[in-house]
Amino acid sequence: MPVDTKRVRGPDESQSPLIFLPKSAQKVVPKEGREDGRQRGQTDVRPVFARCGLVSQAKGSAYIEAGNTKLMCSVYGPREIERKDETDMKSGRLFCDFRFAPFSCQKRGAWIQGSEEKDFSLALLESLRPGVCLHKYPRSQIEVNVMVLENDGSVLAHAVTCASLALADAGIEMYDLVLGCSLRQDGATYLIDPTFPEESGSCVADNAENQGSVTVALLPSLNQVSGLQSDGEMGEETLVDAVRACIEGCHKLYPVVQQALIKSVRRKAPPPEN
Amino acid sequence: MAAGFKTAEPLEYHRSFLKENCRPDGRELGEFRTTTLNIGSISTADGSSLVKIGNTTVICGIKGELASPPADAPNKGYIVPNVDLPPLCSSRFRPGPPGEQAQAASQFVADVIESSGVIQREDLCIEKGKLCWVLYCDIMCLDYDGNLLDACLIALLAALKHVWLPEVTISKDTDLAEVNTDKKQHLSIAKHPISSSFAVFDDSIVIVDPTAEEESLSTAMMTVVTDEEDRLCTLHKPGGTSLSGEKLQDCISRAVTRNREVSKLINTVMHSVKPQNSIQQLPLLGTLARSSCVLTRVWEAVEREMVEHSKPQGSSARDLFDKL
Amino acid sequence: MATVQVSEAEKVYIMHGVRDDLRVDGRGCEDYRHMEIETDVVSNTDGSAKVTLGHTAILVGIKAEIGKPRPMVADEGFLEFFVDCSANATPEFEGRGGDELGTELSNTLYKVFNNRNSIDLRTLCISPGEHCWVLYIDVLLLQCDGNLFDAISVAVKAALFNTRIPKVHISEDEEGGKEIELSDDPYDCMRLNVENVPCIVTLCKVGHRHVVDATLLEKACSEGGRGSLDPESIFEMTETGKRVGKALHAPLMEVLQKEESLGKKRQKVGFLG
Repeated sequence: MPVDTKRVRGPDESQSPLIFLPKSAQKVVPKEGREDGRQRGQTDVRPVFARCGLVSQAKGSAYIEAGNTKLMCSVYGPREIERKDETDMKSGRLFCDFRFAPFSCQKRGAWIQGSEEKDFSLALLESLRPGVCLHKYPRSQIEVNVMVLENDGSVLAHAVTCASLALADAGIEMYDLVLGCSLRQDGATYLIDPTFPEESGSCVADNAENQGSVTVALLPSLNQVSGLQSDGEMGEETLVDAVRACIEGCHKLYPVVQQALIKSVRRKAPPPEN
Repeated sequence: MAAGFKTAEPLEYHRSFLKENCRPDGRELGEFRTTTLNIGSISTADGSSLVKIGNTTVICGIKGELASPPADAPNKGYIVPNVDLPPLCSSRFRPGPPGEQAQAASQFVADVIESSGVIQREDLCIEKGKLCWVLYCDIMCLDYDGNLLDACLIALLAALKHVWLPEVTISKDTDLAEVNTDKKQHLSIAKHPISSSFAVFDDSIVIVDPTAEEESLSTAMMTVVTDEEDRLCTLHKPGGTSLSGEKLQDCISRAVTRNREVSKLINTVMHSVKPQNSIQQLPLLGTLARSSCVLTRVWEAVEREMVEHSKPQGSSARDLFDKL
Repeated sequence: MATVQVSEAEKVYIMHGVRDDLRVDGRGCEDYRHMEIETDVVSNTDGSAKVTLGHTAILVGIKAEIGKPRPMVADEGFLEFFVDCSANATPEFEGRGGDELGTELSNTLYKVFNNRNSIDLRTLCISPGEHCWVLYIDVLLLQCDGNLFDAISVAVKAALFNTRIPKVHISEDEEGGKEIELSDDPYDCMRLNVENVPCIVTLCKVGHRHVVDATLLEKACSEGGRGSLDPESIFEMTETGKRVGKALHAPLMEVLQKEESLGKKRQKVGFLG
């Protein structure tokens, strides 16, 4: 087995104390209602706090907090493309790197990027790309780095929102912002913007139909969906309703994100006093 | 004009400030940037803290896991500190395995923990030879603007003080671990190692708390770690130009005062964090207009809870700007 | 993925054709290209299938091995996917060029097949918490000519249909230790119920309409598949997808059953056919 010599290593094997918890102490998601007081079947997304321009070294950056989900994103570039073998030099390239901080999840994460992170990186890239005017940046690359500081559900959706804020903060030309919203379908009802316990599905009754989750990335003013991910089994109508609910959820985020952007623009170029 | 000078001749630009005993950001030579601290904002970690020194931002999350103790020390636990410099924090870092600087920082933090005895590793033992705690201390830089090591150590110390581990016993019947989250305990922190970093300019001028730019222009770097009893625990000077004994003595005395300032900051913030509940809620700060869903948490809390150490005294620098 | 360049004039020609429900190769908007399926093509696997769709060619081999169930679901077996994008398929996959696509494909397959109604994973359990069958599903891309997702899913379904897992008997000795015995009879084996195994239907929006089983040229006309869509067309596409999927499943099962009923009389085509 290859030995990782680049980090301070601990014991070969260690276990989270959570798996030794007695069954009675484990959290159960209520079958009715939601723990944080929100309603099932309504598009009440968690309150969001968004802020731009926190990373001094980056061209643009953003931080988003929704419930306990906290993540930040920084954008570097446009700079000269590193990979010269690309055939298509007429438009720029977008790179996305999605990472969980090791302490961000219930279970401690590994240092090396796992397949879930790779999957999220790709989903993020595909959701953002339609929103960015890449043809304005020939022969250049734009890097988007997302770091999840705390995972309390719906990380991909918030990562999309955060990354598009950071891109806008970096002054990258865009057609529109990209907003993300996700949803957990639980039988006939749904939980929008689910928390981690709601998302990971310990609330599922065993034989219920329509169990799944949907994440939508939306360009709000163009009313275009740039990313759609759906896992699990759902009837077609349920899926359509779920997507509609997510779109509605995105629109609820829009004013917050706009405010954050306005704030950052004001700070960069204060309006003339008169 | 000034901006052009700065880009074309960065070293001369800095020298012209240093000649007047001040620095481009308005600080004096021996002045630290504003240091702010936030403790306990990551609820998925058993202990966490966020430190800002000027722009440099570092977050530390500690997670405790269970393992069997090392064979050569059956009554000890593990502390595993790692510093990560993700591409997020600066364009100088690439994705992939840790680079040289991250490796050196991890090793430095590990050495300080080992040599200062901040925690007795015996305290982490649950049952001799059977079960012990592993403290994974992951320190991540979110914004790199110089003086990484100081920020890392403050973050580590503050997070260690905040760590809150459940009681674990080994059941006599099943021989398996039993975890009781109702009874939680803090670690006992024996020592307070805090570092001060210095950069040497032109072999003779010593400045404290360098920014990323100052670091890259300096001819040598040095980090001094002292504990709360003013004793020197680590002195880290990786190469560079030489330094006179006299100057070194000055640096150590500066480090001693810095230790007092930072200890005070950590204690103040620790007290302002609500009496320990398992779930911590930081205060809301009111809502912004137009939207029903704006909420202010960590960053605002940082700004609120921060205890300012040193107010920048900008006048001399501004005079200089006018001259340029 | 393999891409082609398309000129403006070609684009207009293709888009006008699609508008009138007539595609360049003569198909309608909801028609697949000619598809060939052959099962049991690799003798040292437990199940295999080869599918060609246009010039896209996929080979799937399934190996069943005994493993330990995952701790979270002790009474279920599981599937493992690996997609090999060999440089045979297109020169772009040389070196590590195909890795990204390979991960994307296997992650998607894992998501699609890891549903309760797709395969009853409990039938793969031998003894809860101790032993279960692990199906290693290896997908090999032989040639890429668009619409990999659909072709792979059909090939996986066919290979699962073809899979025969040996029956095992668990015997307990006096001390309570368990022993696994494999049946001696090679024909004494377990089949999987693939009735509900999903097929992927990829739709591509070209101009104002969407087409099934797009060729590389058609894909190049729809922003290379990288654009965004308005919600209404997503809903329309889901509906079409559902309809086309249903229309794909029925004949697929029929073909698979027919092929099997031929038994040994079946003329093997193999790779040169």
